[in-house]
Amino acid sequence: MGKRENGDNSGIGDTSREDERESDLREDERESDLLESDLTRRGFLGGTGAALVVAGAPTLGTAEISTATAVAQVADVPRTTIRVTVNGSRERVEVEDRWTLNELLRDSLGLMGSKIGCNRGECGACTVLVDGEPVYSCSTLAVWADGQEIVTVEGLERDGDVSVLQQAFMDHNAPQCGFCTPGQLMTATALLDRNPRPTNMEVREALVGNLCRCSNYNAIVEAVLAAAGTSGSGGAA
Amino acid sequence: MSPQQTTGPLRPMNTVGHNVPRIDSYERVTGRATYTRDVRLPGMLYARVLRSPHPHARIRSIDTSKAEALPGVRAVITHETHEVLYGSGSIAGGRQYSDAAKDITTHVRYMFDNPVRFVGQPLAAVAAVDRHVAEEAIQLIEVDYEELPFVLDPEEALEPGAPLIWPEGNLGLDFANQPRPSAGTSGDPEAGFRAADRVFEDRYTTAFVQDAQMEPRSALAHWDGDKVTIYTPTQGISNCRHDNARDLGLEDHQVQIICKYMGGGFGDKNGSYYFDLIAATLAKEADAPVLLELSRKDDWLGTHGRWHTVQDFKVGVAQDGTVTAIQLRAYSGMGPYLRRSGGISGTDAYACPNVDRTIYSVHTNRMVSGNFRAPSDPQGYFAIQSMMDDIAYKIGMDPVDFALKNMRRPTEQQRYTNYTLDECIARGRELFDWESRWRPEPGSDPGPIKRGAGMAFMMFRAGVGPSSAILRVNSDEMYTLFVGVTDIGPGAKTTMALIAAEELGVPLSQVEVVWGDTDLCPYSVGESGSRTTTMTGYAVVQAALDLKGQIAEKGMPLGDEVLIASATPTPSTQGLRRMCFGAHFVEVEADVQLGHVRISKYVAVHESGRILNPLPAKDQIRGAALQGVGQALHEDLLYDPQNGHPLNAGYYGARHVTHMDVPEIEVTFIETDDGFGPYGAKTVGEAGIILGPAAVANAVFNAIGHRMKDLPITREKILGALA
Repeated sequence: MGKRENGDNSGIGDTSREDERESDLREDERESDLLESDLTRRGFLGGTGAALVVAGAPTLGTAEISTATAVAQVADVPRTTIRVTVNGSRERVEVEDRWTLNELLRDSLGLMGSKIGCNRGECGACTVLVDGEPVYSCSTLAVWADGQEIVTVEGLERDGDVSVLQQAFMDHNAPQCGFCTPGQLMTATALLDRNPRPTNMEVREALVGNLCRCSNYNAIVEAVLAAAGTSGSGGAA
Repeated sequence: MSPQQTTGPLRPMNTVGHNVPRIDSYERVTGRATYTRDVRLPGMLYARVLRSPHPHARIRSIDTSKAEALPGVRAVITHETHEVLYGSGSIAGGRQYSDAAKDITTHVRYMFDNPVRFVGQPLAAVAAVDRHVAEEAIQLIEVDYEELPFVLDPEEALEPGAPLIWPEGNLGLDFANQPRPSAGTSGDPEAGFRAADRVFEDRYTTAFVQDAQMEPRSALAHWDGDKVTIYTPTQGISNCRHDNARDLGLEDHQVQIICKYMGGGFGDKNGSYYFDLIAATLAKEADAPVLLELSRKDDWLGTHGRWHTVQDFKVGVAQDGTVTAIQLRAYSGMGPYLRRSGGISGTDAYACPNVDRTIYSVHTNRMVSGNFRAPSDPQGYFAIQSMMDDIAYKIGMDPVDFALKNMRRPTEQQRYTNYTLDECIARGRELFDWESRWRPEPGSDPGPIKRGAGMAFMMFRAGVGPSSAILRVNSDEMYTLFVGVTDIGPGAKTTMALIAAEELGVPLSQVEVVWGDTDLCPYSVGESGSRTTTMTGYAVVQAALDLKGQIAEKGMPLGDEVLIASATPTPSTQGLRRMCFGAHFVEVEADVQLGHVRISKYVAVHESGRILNPLPAKDQIRGAALQGVGQALHEDLLYDPQNGHPLNAGYYGARHVTHMDVPEIEVTFIETDDGFGPYGAKTVGEAGIILGPAAVANAVFNAIGHRMKDLPITREKILGALA
């Protein structure tokens, strides 16, 4: 996926490329969205009421009226258009205000690398970089990322080459099941960006918010130390 | 000593035995590895499950009309609309792969049950156009519950007048569907106790431990006519297919199970699970693919974990330190369904011939218990090896000498394919420097930070058995290996490729692996019981031998030709016992003012036969040992006795081990080739977790001079013991 300066997201999700002409239309779009969907909702509620009276109980899946109005109704949630840079690609995308950053990345942009292990800020499998800082994308609303630069595990490669850290993860068997790996990689990337030669303790402190139930902690720390050009055991001295 | 007990130096091999990064490590570090929730199908719906807020309740009525009326909802199912048997959820004797046991069990579990018997039990599900609508719809389902009395404690559950979870009582059913404990006697326990100079009695308890794999469970189902495809994280696609077909009223070939990458399992993902059935049922109702995603809390309370136990021991010892008799009365808390046996291991590691064991697998209204990495072992080894460590102290023996005196060894009646337990203990004792770290007088260090050492030893089955593999070669000399394994984390896919490359004598790069899909792959036992390497790996060897023979006879295929070999070997050890062996030595620093325990040294010595790939094998042991440390010092699931509610579901609540809690785990393998399995390989994955709790607890005793008999050994327990 995307090289930093020249990203190409054609074909993934319903995103539109940043267009300066449209950037000032956000508030207007929200207004019109609300108006339109408000009408739709009223129409739908009337229809449902009638169906209930006639049929006694709603039917599911098969009733065309239910299907047709459902889409409109689901669209009737507060939405905001935001601009984000994801793995070097500038995106302008409309999000539901209730979406987490993780939902934007996975469901809308099709970037499946960040994982949901707990969806409540406990495990760190969803960690991505926002303006260079590791954050839990499950506990960050998508709208908060407006104007920010996001890097996910898919954005770590350069010109088809894995990063030094990724290579160290491969060489040191840092992934067992691999589910926590994207999060561990993102936090460790942020660490090495600001501290290229961390100690064992600094690595472990930085990664404390990234759980690994395979408990492959020793190998993960060894990989980070190896990527930093230092070596050492993964455990406490 | 039988001739099988020692082996010479290992024959060096080309591919096997070298540190080889996983063949899919690139996918794992770039986000390209596709887990179940990463699969997207056109028109896919999202599902959520409504779960019981009560530990025991009858559902008087359930009203889904508001949920059904919510725009975007496509299907709502309840126990009233769909009575789907969940056969692998409740089995007589907990015998997971036995259709016969499932057929006779009277404690039947359904996909949705009424009454509900634990907090977190599913009772309805919704499929909707997105997950937010599904979650909203779940909130709109109205349930009228009649709350029933509940019981949380296994011993209380067996008392007269206890709330009944099943009409015939709360004792689990055995293999014959009879409510009986698992009981057995060997030798003459009474005579053994009479022969003892001293008899010791004590009670040990262990807590529930969630498997808590990082990937929460999910299932994505879609129907094509009368065939259903289910993407689901399972540790055994073949058994998962069979179980789901059985419950859905289909033939095996009408179910396709796909599981490629999986975010851990540790036994939580053995066979099928009810969410497969829910996703399949919703997909049929909605006539669209349905992805059911469990939340972390759903997964924590709605799946299973290691059974908690109460173990009462009585042990007789002669003057010279020989154990003369062992009696165990134990209770395993299984939740309301017997998904697995509730067995307790550990007594078998001792040579004492006079053993009397009675284990009650008991139903309670806590969440369900089931397999977690070496399902019956860490809790059993903790108890008996704490007991024995304590006896060694009380009779004035070094616990290592006591172990060497009393551990089980081969006899003329029971020979082994090989035996290295004494070597494991000797090596560990030396590497750890036991003599300088173990305190002859426990708790004798001056000052508030006290050090102490403990050890434990084990043997664990490394059996051989049937499995299958298919191997194909085409004219550009690419070999394609078809194996029904999934890659739960240890690297089964890489191991299978390594074995094929070794036997074929080709570079690893010439072997492709097709895995994790029942429509493409032959039967495999599944990633449980640490059997994939020994069983499916052996089938790979046999398939490769066959293919080599064909190539020798016919030459390499030309043009569009292919050669194909398959193998379904049924190896046997001819009555020999095949075990892997291990000994762990642990030093702790215990702060007697704060109650904090830190692991200051951890040495793990294992004999698991030939190690096929040392790089991931070492990490299997390191990771498993750390899980054992977590069980020893951290993890529990607490319930409020007033309302039967679980209090600390989740990683923070259960205080899981983090990067900051991690000591260096020093791993040594003693390698042998006993002539069985692929090149003498034995089991690795489960062996490493068995000894952590016992070795850590014994080290804590040696440090503070107080025996900690209840897991987890928390700060407040230590401070309480010292108060």
